[in-house]
Amino acid sequence: MNDKIKRAFWQAPWGYKESIAVVGGLSFVGLMLQLSTGNFNFTLLEYPVGLLAIVGLIVLTGLMIWRHKSPFFVWFSGVPMSVSVIGGVLFFALIMGLVPQHGDGHAHEHSPLGFDTVTRSWPFVLLYSLLMLNLSMVTARRLLNFKWRDYAFYLNHLGLLLLLIAAGIGAADLRRYVMHVQEEATEWRVFSDSGDMIELPVAIHLKDFYMEEYIPKLAIIDKKTGETYPSGNPQMWQIDTLNTKGEIMEWQIEMLEYIHEAVRNSDSTYRHVPMPGSCPAVKVRVINASTGFDRTGWICGGNFAQLYMTMELNEHLNMVMTRPEPKLYRSEVIVYTQSEKAIPASIEVNKPLKVENWFIYQYSYDSDRGKASTTSSFELVYDPWLSWVYIGLWMFIAGSVLLIWEGNKKSKISKDDHLE
Amino acid sequence: MITWSSFSWFALPTMLLWTLAILMIYRRQLHSEGKVSTELNVNTSSEKGNIPVHAESAKISPLYTSALLTITGILIFGTFIALMWVSLDRPPMRTMGETRLWYTFFLSVIGLIMYLKWRHHWILSFSLVVASVFIIVNLAKPEIHSKDLMPALQSVWFVPHVIAYIMSYAFLSAATIAAIILLYRKDYSDRSLISLTDNVIYIGFGLLMVGLLIGAVWAKEAWGHYWSWDPKETWAFITAAGYLMYIHIRLRENKIRRFTLWLVVFSFVLLMITWKGVNYLPSAKGSVHVYSQQD
Repeated sequence: MNDKIKRAFWQAPWGYKESIAVVGGLSFVGLMLQLSTGNFNFTLLEYPVGLLAIVGLIVLTGLMIWRHKSPFFVWFSGVPMSVSVIGGVLFFALIMGLVPQHGDGHAHEHSPLGFDTVTRSWPFVLLYSLLMLNLSMVTARRLLNFKWRDYAFYLNHLGLLLLLIAAGIGAADLRRYVMHVQEEATEWRVFSDSGDMIELPVAIHLKDFYMEEYIPKLAIIDKKTGETYPSGNPQMWQIDTLNTKGEIMEWQIEMLEYIHEAVRNSDSTYRHVPMPGSCPAVKVRVINASTGFDRTGWICGGNFAQLYMTMELNEHLNMVMTRPEPKLYRSEVIVYTQSEKAIPASIEVNKPLKVENWFIYQYSYDSDRGKASTTSSFELVYDPWLSWVYIGLWMFIAGSVLLIWEGNKKSKISKDDHLE
Repeated sequence: MITWSSFSWFALPTMLLWTLAILMIYRRQLHSEGKVSTELNVNTSSEKGNIPVHAESAKISPLYTSALLTITGILIFGTFIALMWVSLDRPPMRTMGETRLWYTFFLSVIGLIMYLKWRHHWILSFSLVVASVFIIVNLAKPEIHSKDLMPALQSVWFVPHVIAYIMSYAFLSAATIAAIILLYRKDYSDRSLISLTDNVIYIGFGLLMVGLLIGAVWAKEAWGHYWSWDPKETWAFITAAGYLMYIHIRLRENKIRRFTLWLVVFSFVLLMITWKGVNYLPSAKGSVHVYSQQD
């Protein structure tokens, strides 16, 4: 940019124009490949081909190190190339952000240019590869001229490189399955996206599914439409055992009694019974000073086992209880492995279990039955590249913290370091 | 037990103190305007060939009365957040209204720190005005139904993830204002303002990446994979790429160019889409990040 003499396109030293042309050209080639062959087939990169791709990356970077003074490699591992390829990836990511994306194995209309499956489309895969190559060369070039004070640069760039490799190439080896298990049963079979049954090397025996629910809220609904009131901006009152008075619009509410695990008596009152079919119920007094409305009664949200109970406010509106939201759910399981180990464990959201190379997650349950659910679903994830992802992530996090701490003062000092 | 109904008791005094802080700055600026400009004339004539200094970027000592008023406001507002946290028994970070509390809090804190470090009067007044706008939104249209934390959000990563993002938004919005001022002046030679833009973007980007990467660590624990190209993740990626382009372009640029300044504004638009716009995009149907839907 500081060139005083105007140079022609493709005349050395190459800069932004040539970089943008290369990125644009590669995108065009990608689009043509997409039109003629469809999505990039990631299974091609399954082990051990993925390793070969990495060897290729290392060989090309080695070539750059060997010829690091050649004008071509100075340009290829320079800032204009980095900016252009980031711009290219940004462009296709924008398409991904605007066009609804589809997963594998779903029946749908495919965009011929791969705009609805961007991560698996040729242009994205090619630009992602160019980004890895450029990043690898930029990092290697800076390492040739090693300085301790560049530590933030190394952490950020090496961390990102590891992440891009392990996430990108590793995507081919990633396996994710959902397994549904009944209480007191043992399961080892899952279904793939295409509906084939697969037998896994781990089996799960579900001893017990346990769930806790939050205290629900009270709301007012329109009797005819079921819409919450006032429509568009519904007001609700969180039932609170300490703060027993509240209001929704012009109705004053006073909570008289709350039972979290309630069962209805024959006379429309409720009592505390801790059993799977119980549900929350509340006894309230509701007053509307402007109309003179004053009523005391029970309200209950109901569930698969019990009918709901509402309070009629006027000819249009009813006061109802919302469905309680889950507070926590966990499965008590025994996991069996092929090496004939039996591992007792408790699996919860945010607390997965790691067994050999598999991570087992609490995924879902029978939401119609809520805490009375007798099935639990698990997601099983196999990712042999995960350790590299974590190394990359934490290097990058450390590098980012250094960015916050130091601002741009380091990069200003060393900004001409890799100008050869 | 404190609830949203007591919000105005904290919000109004805070806004009053901040308004006073801004008024004090400009009262003083009006008084010293003549003095500053003569000083500048002296400077430019004695140091020929130097880049002209704009009054706003000249090193004027910060007004400590305004700083003190701002701090008092922040403390009052912070007290409300703390009391809400205790009363809800979880960090108030789930609903839009709760998130706005933090935006107000960090915008004012960061505005104050940057005012003391860089001494631009506009930083303090801008951040306090925007912080107050968020208070007014919360007073006028509180989306405050007390929401319980769903199991996926119950994690140690929740607080650092959200705080890093909110702080990053505050820094990057300050950088955007600086870039807009430069674009508006059509004169890109104000070194102080340019280095402020650079520095603030480095800090903001660092925070953005910390927020994003902590999110990835958390996603692995909660959703089984560290990166799923969920619409919110895709847009966070796009935003990071925008700022990454700016940072790399600036490495080889002594004088900032118009294109580069527009890139700051463009990246901020991307950031706003990531934060708010995603919920309205057709591509975001079924996003795991949309928590604000009505039950």
